[in-house]
Amino acid sequence: MSMVRRSVQYLDERLGTASFARKTLRKVFPDHWSFLLGEIALFALVVLVFTGVFLTFFYTPDARPTIYQGPYEPMQGKEVSAAYESVLRLSFQVRSGLLMRQVHHWAALVFVAAVVVHLCRIFFTGAFRRPREVNWLVGVALLLLAMGEGFTGYSLPDDLLSGIGLRIFYSVVLAIPLVGSWAAYLLFGGEFPAPDIISRLFVFHVMLLPALLLGLVGLHLVILVLQKHTQFPGRGRTERNVVGKRLWPQQTFKSVGLLFVTTAMLAALGGLAQINPIWQYGPYVPFNVTSPAQPDWYIGWLDGALRLAGPWSFDVFGFPVSEMFWPAILFPGIAFGTLTLWPWIERRFNRDQAEHHLLDRPRDAPLRSAVGMAGLWVFFVMFLEGGNDILAVMLNVSVENITRILQAAFVVGPFVVGAATYAICRSLRKSQIHPARATAGVELRRTASGGYETVPLEPTSSE
Amino acid sequence: MDDEDQQHRQAEGDEPLSLEQRRAARLTAICFVVAILAGVALFVVYFTGGQTQLEGILFALALGGLGIGIVIWGEQLLAAHEVEEDRHEFTVGEESRLALVESFEEETGPLLRHGARRSFLVRLLGGAAGALGLALLLPALSLGPSPGRGLAHTSWRKGRRVVGEDGKPIVFDSLPEDGFLTVFPEGADVNRADSQALLIRVPNGLLELSEEQLAGVPGGTHVAYSKICSHAGCPVGLYRAATRSLICPCHQSQFDVLRGCKPYFGPAARPLPQLPLGVDRDGNLVALGDFSGPVGPAFWHRVKRGRSS
Repeated sequence: MSMVRRSVQYLDERLGTASFARKTLRKVFPDHWSFLLGEIALFALVVLVFTGVFLTFFYTPDARPTIYQGPYEPMQGKEVSAAYESVLRLSFQVRSGLLMRQVHHWAALVFVAAVVVHLCRIFFTGAFRRPREVNWLVGVALLLLAMGEGFTGYSLPDDLLSGIGLRIFYSVVLAIPLVGSWAAYLLFGGEFPAPDIISRLFVFHVMLLPALLLGLVGLHLVILVLQKHTQFPGRGRTERNVVGKRLWPQQTFKSVGLLFVTTAMLAALGGLAQINPIWQYGPYVPFNVTSPAQPDWYIGWLDGALRLAGPWSFDVFGFPVSEMFWPAILFPGIAFGTLTLWPWIERRFNRDQAEHHLLDRPRDAPLRSAVGMAGLWVFFVMFLEGGNDILAVMLNVSVENITRILQAAFVVGPFVVGAATYAICRSLRKSQIHPARATAGVELRRTASGGYETVPLEPTSSE
Repeated sequence: MDDEDQQHRQAEGDEPLSLEQRRAARLTAICFVVAILAGVALFVVYFTGGQTQLEGILFALALGGLGIGIVIWGEQLLAAHEVEEDRHEFTVGEESRLALVESFEEETGPLLRHGARRSFLVRLLGGAAGALGLALLLPALSLGPSPGRGLAHTSWRKGRRVVGEDGKPIVFDSLPEDGFLTVFPEGADVNRADSQALLIRVPNGLLELSEEQLAGVPGGTHVAYSKICSHAGCPVGLYRAATRSLICPCHQSQFDVLRGCKPYFGPAARPLPQLPLGVDRDGNLVALGDFSGPVGPAFWHRVKRGRSS
């Protein structure tokens, strides 16, 4: 006790932080399982930073060719890039190197997944509404940065699979109207495969993007603390208060526990579930290709979009517009543009200018839920199409038919899913079942005359 | 340790623990012991040579034991009643905002007096900032060469011999029927991606090509196309002999080998350019010129051109 007292005194006399610390420790956080999704993303990011630093000590960002002479026999004597060689060395010769690499890769997959699920929670509960629009923007930027981190990291080992992904990315840049070939040459340092790209990707992956990502995560959390967390409606919860548990000790125990459990799951995955075995793919050779070839899950939708689109290429004043323009540039632009601007788009429809600290349930905003589900459906269809060759083998249907079915599902599906979501939300709203309130039910009473009557009970809370 | 603390401790110690609290304490202790044992085992595994799967499991046990232990330990705290906190305004309010704007305008006032001069200077400032911005962009141009005609040409020239991956020339008629091979221009770097081509031997009389195209197909059977998909640039690595089609494994574009590699399914919009071939005096395959068009995906500055040599 006295040690706590002494350190508090020491710090307060020098930094004057005691009242701030007291306020912070007593801060109230509403309690709901879905509020932990963002925390899982944060903890996966912590794991990514630690494992990532370890990996940088062994990785060589160099595309220059070298002859592999390590212990992995099938590769001995083959010409590989120094980057590829360093990842093989890390995997086979550095003790616990493979574990760190696999944990890093799994953590990346979980990180983006947690970000996406967290985003869905924010969207479907309307947590982006005034005054939280700025934090919504920060969140969307974080999602894009997370995907950028994922793709650059995935490309660093310079293996065959990631090299093909890089080749496709180069072609997408090339497809940008007007400036495509310039942009591609500047980004890659010349015609693909220019050797500079590996070292450039490394700088993006370990410096530029992480600096932005960590800075924005900090901003995300500062804004969260300033504005206080949203809460679901329920007994005693209003727009003007926060009901929940204090940061110290309740929330801290819960969050620290979750940090360790998340890390434990990632360690188990990294130790037991093989991921990205680049020695099986081989080094990148421009005229080799693997089949089937799938990227990491969060890029799957984009690869699927490329497979789903038709050969829609045409000339504008003699300049060709690539068929890749529609699925790889225009569509993602519209989709992420809509996502970014959603708080303002929704306001145009419902003219809602009020501040909101109480969350909607998905049924409370049928139109928003319908749009959200339609959007998820579209991305789900693209994701499936990204594995159309695998689906074809699994279902014993030709790739052509899988593609045609999914093309139809891409066009018609969003309307069906949206309409169904809308109808379900409306009927749920009508039924008045409210998970946050105790079930109202009926009271059975005996009347004076000896009969029985039922009386509907009042809901136990008032909003 | 002072007296007050001592008393406090005793007071705490006197409280009898409930059955549940005792159970929670026991579970917490088990979790922490598991974490300790896993940590120790991790040392042993590491120093005896390391083993990825074991390391993963032990790490998971050490971290999980700690995490679950902390959660169970904190469980008795979580039973605490919810507390309520005011969601006080975080804005400073209309008045303070106005004061901020006013003081800002007052301080900058002297700079902005005299309307005409002000707008002139502000415009000049904007111009200077813009010019500086553009100048700062210049170093970025050093990041890569200008595209020029690099995308339109490959290393194929008239008379260049066709070689395999091993650098050896390909003798006409050495491929079996429906055989196919990735070929390169002799002496060129195989890692320069744009020159790779697929040589396919199709049965005689099946090709449906124009006169001009057939002139580059020795024997009417040895036809070569760019191996770079015209959609996204992947190597078109799959040949289906039954339909005589090339399939790109990346996005499943399919090309009709017998009809000039026109795409007939999938996202690709342009045929794979043909590499015109001939046979030299020694019976080796040679190129009659560059591809019939720019290889690979579309790009804005892609210029249409006929067969060049």
